[in-house]
Formats: sequence, structure tokens, C-alpha cells
Amino acid sequence: MVANSRTSIRVDRLRPLNLPRPVNIELDHHALPTAVTSDNKRKAVESVGEIWQVDDEWWRERIARRYIEVMLEGGGHVVLYEDQITGKWFMQDP
Amino acid sequence: MSPAVPPPASPPTGRAGGQWPHPSPRGEVVEVGPPTRPGGDGWGGGPPGGEERRGGPARQGGAARWLTSDRAVCVWIPLFALRAEERRRPDLIGKPTALLAAEDTRRLWQVSSRARHSGVRPGLTVSRAIGLCPALTLLEADPVYYDEQFSSLLSALSNVSPVIEPVELGRVFVGVDGLERMYGGPEKQVEVIERVVGPHSPPPHRADRRTGGQAVSGLGELLPPYRPTALPPGGVGKGGEWSGLRLGCARGKFAAWVAASRAKPGEPLIVSDDEQAEFLRTQPVAALPLDPDTHRRLWQLELKTLGDLAALSEDALVSQFGREGRTAWRLAAGKITEPVMGHEVPEPITASIDFPNPIADRPILIQALGKLIDHALHHPRRVGWRVHEVRVRAVLEHGSSWMIEITLKDPSANRERIASPIRAKLEQAPPNGAVEHLTVEFTAFIRGTTELQLFARDAQAAARAGCRRALRWAAREIKTRVKRPMLHHIIEVHPWSRIPERRYALIDFDP
Repeated sequence: MVANSRTSIRVDRLRPLNLPRPVNIELDHHALPTAVTSDNKRKAVESVGEIWQVDDEWWRERIARRYIEVMLEGGGHVVLYEDQITGKWFMQDP
Repeated sequence: MSPAVPPPASPPTGRAGGQWPHPSPRGEVVEVGPPTRPGGDGWGGGPPGGEERRGGPARQGGAARWLTSDRAVCVWIPLFALRAEERRRPDLIGKPTALLAAEDTRRLWQVSSRARHSGVRPGLTVSRAIGLCPALTLLEADPVYYDEQFSSLLSALSNVSPVIEPVELGRVFVGVDGLERMYGGPEKQVEVIERVVGPHSPPPHRADRRTGGQAVSGLGELLPPYRPTALPPGGVGKGGEWSGLRLGCARGKFAAWVAASRAKPGEPLIVSDDEQAEFLRTQPVAALPLDPDTHRRLWQLELKTLGDLAALSEDALVSQFGREGRTAWRLAAGKITEPVMGHEVPEPITASIDFPNPIADRPILIQALGKLIDHALHHPRRVGWRVHEVRVRAVLEHGSSWMIEITLKDPSANRERIASPIRAKLEQAPPNGAVEHLTVEFTAFIRGTTELQLFARDAQAAARAGCRRALRWAAREIKTRVKRPMLHHIIEVHPWSRIPERRYALIDFDP
């Protein structure tokens, strides 16, 4: 990380990092992902790590996500989540 | 001197590829290109196709070439800086001594074993250290001297093997693949290295200690210099006679480093391929190149040996520690062997100039020589190396030639230091005719440069400061050109948020 430039921070200048990317997921009969397709590239899930649930911010725009940490073939370590409100799947860095 | 002339279609040095013309301030064209080889052109130079290569993979399109070796000998001199001071001042040997940190002279950097016995530790303040050991001798760090000593060590080792990879001050890997026919088996290879670097040459030990050491007599026969022309100033001995030397030999850098860390001074440890897995299994996880936090977590998980680590599944390690975990598991399980990557000594660097109107005037020749030295010094292949030998050649009117060679007692990358002895030789033995074509060739190099001491601690801080200055300058330049900031830095927003995209954000970098 570079040194602080002492520039004042304004909200409009902030750009969030690690935004979720939409992906297509293939699930097994336990509802666990077996393959991830992103940018027309399909990668098998080699192993499933931790699984956790986030329910938050019901007082404004409700967030309900089921996160699954997976290892993809070739060594990719990513976090998948299902948006339980829209039913869509997304991928993020851990 | 003549007005500007275009680069010759077929340069006299006979090399079309890999050279680039440089217009000099006076308009002449100066070529800086790959070396000439004896026997090809009118100078005694040869075509590029005749270049002899010592093998090993080459980088595409670059001047840098890398030699690799799977089998490695790790040469480790713990407390290198302190040992270097003891070489300079033998009266310090056996005394409680400490070096002050270069970046904070109120604290200690390296501490001798005698001082340790009194409770003095690296990082202590000077006042506390003196309180613990009133007889303590304190020395200011001299990073340039340590760097010079390390360069001499590397030069000495490069006479044993062409594959040398320095890691840090006092630790270097020597690739030994293919040296069997020159020196013999691993025991003899290690013995040769110890003879070059260490104070004496005791027999090496096998990892399992079953076979014990095997003394070798007639060591003089074992040490044919690898490149007789590339001996460091003062010969091989200048890099040698280091006390506290530890040597480990194994397949791959990691196993060799572990072996060196387990070896005792004067008792090299050689790990054969058959024994390597068993050897690694019993070693502590502290040998792994991981950050302190990961080591702490491994300790908390009661993973004490590499065998404990290798017994887990790779996925489990990756899940806990990410990419670092994968590397750790593979190293512990012996699944990867990192080869020694040796940077080949640069090929000679040549700079030449044509005089359409032959020159006999000495001051003009001296000025031209200065420019050629400048151009050759700026060659990218020279970076990181000091010039040791220089050859100056000229084609004279009527087809005769002239040549002088100098060897710099103190290898340098400074124009004036290189030019001065050339001028003296030029005065003593000037060309006996007008010069049509003049060439300066750097033919031998010594590691290290006077511009940036790569291993010096204070120089690292200077380099970091230089990087920051360069970054600020680049950011302003980009903003000026594209009218908006294109560089950003990362700030923490909610680093502990359960929503990953809310943890960090980018903000414009505006110095």
C-alpha cells in the first residue's frame, strides 16, 4: 500500500473493491456448487470450504446471502454467494 | 570529427541484430551492440552466429540469460556483517561485539555470540545493551563494505560454478548440476566450495550420518578454476576464509537451505535424493519461508515439523493459509524443488564509432573514447556489474590496427575511473596512424555496482525513497497528460465488514 497522500477523502471519490461478479452455478443434490461458469469459462469446484449466512440491514435494503468458500480447479480460491432475495449467484475474492 | 553519418547498412562489427545506433551529442553515430568474437571481422571480431553459449534457458528477446540447477549447495554465513567486521579487525574476534542498526543507530542490529551470553540481543537499545554488558564493543554498520565483501564471495564462488544465486547478505545458492565430471560427487563439490569460501576443508557429512565423512586428499587437483579469465581481483582467496560457514547440499533450494541451517560450522550436510523426504519430515516448520503470523498460527495448531504439515491434505492448508499454504505444503512434502537460478555473467559490451575522415588528433580521440565509454556504461546488460577489463581497438588508415587492454585494479562503473588508465596507455603507446574506426569493449565484469549497493540496508531505504519520488513524479505526469488521475491507492473502509465489497475501496492517488 502506498503512503497516505493526506488528500481529503470524499465519498464520491471512493470506488469499492472486490465487487461481486455474477456467475452461473451448477449445484449438486445438497445444493452445494459443483461448477462455476464466469465469462463463458467453466471451472469445476474441487473442494468446498466454509459456509456462512449473512442477514443484515433489514431496516433499509435487506441483505440475505448464503456464502460458500470454494477451491476451483487450477487453484482458484473464491467465495460464492447466493443472493436469497433474487436467487442469483455471485463470485468474490475471499 | 565528421558531421553526422547514417548507421552503416552492414556495420563493421558484423552484427545486425541486437544493436542500436545512438546519435552522439556531436552528431556522430555510435553503435552499442553485442560483443565481437575473435576471428571474424577486420578487428579480429566474429559474427554473432559464432557466439558460444554456456547453456541453460534463455529469456526471449532479452539480454539477461539464466542458468538453472536443481541440485543446490546453500552457502550460509550467519551474521555476515559481523563476520566481515572481524575480517577487517581481527582483534574483535572472541570479544562481545554488536553492530548498530543502519536505520536507527540507537538500536543493535547484529550481536556476537559472546555478547549474547551476556544477555544482549538484536533490537535492544544501546543504553540497555551497555548495561547488560559493559565490555560491549559497538560498531557502526558499513553496508558498502559488507556489500563489497559479499561481492568478493560471489566472485569466488562463480569460479566453482556458473550458477550462483545470492539471496541475502551471507546466503547464496550454488547450482552444482553437471559439475560431477569436473569435481566429482556431491562430497567433493561441497569440499571444493568450502575450500573456496571456508577457513579449512573438513570432510562432509551425509544426512543420515551412516556413511560419515570421507576425507579427500589433494584438494589442489579439485579446484580447476571454472573461468580462469574471470578470477576476482586478488584471486579466489579474497572471497574465502569465512569462519562460521555452514553448507548444505540437496535437491532444490529449500532442502539445501534447511540442510545448511542444520549443518554445523565446518561440517557440511549433504542430503541425497533418497534421503531427502525423510530428512525434511523431521525438520521444524520454522524452516519454511513464511511470514511470522503464519508461523504463529502453525505453532498454535501444534504443527511443529514439516512431517506434521505434509501429513495434512493440501486443500486443508490452502483453505487456511491460501497460496502461502499451498507453497508450504508442497515444500514440506517435497513436491516442488526450486532450482537455483544463476544470472550469467554478461557478455562483453561493445561501443564503436566510425570516422569517415580519419582522426590523428589525440584530444579528439580521447573525447571520442570518453563518449564510447559512456555509451557502453549505459548498456542495460551492464547494470549491476562493475567493469573489470577494457579493450580499446582501432582500425587505422591503410588497414593496420591498434589495440590496448587494461585491467582495472578497482573495478568500476564510473566513466572517469575507466577512462583515466586508458588515457595513460594512449599517451604511452599511441596509434601510429590516423584512426578510421574506434571500438571500446568491456570484456570482464565484477558483481556489484557503485551506483546502488543492492545488498546494503541503507541503500534499500534510499531506493524506497527514490521509488516514492518517482511515483509522485509519474502521478503528476499522468494527470497532466490525461487530465484526470489514473493512479489510485487502497483505503480501508470497513475492514471487518461481513460484506466483502465494503471492506476496501480505491481512492485517487494525488500526491
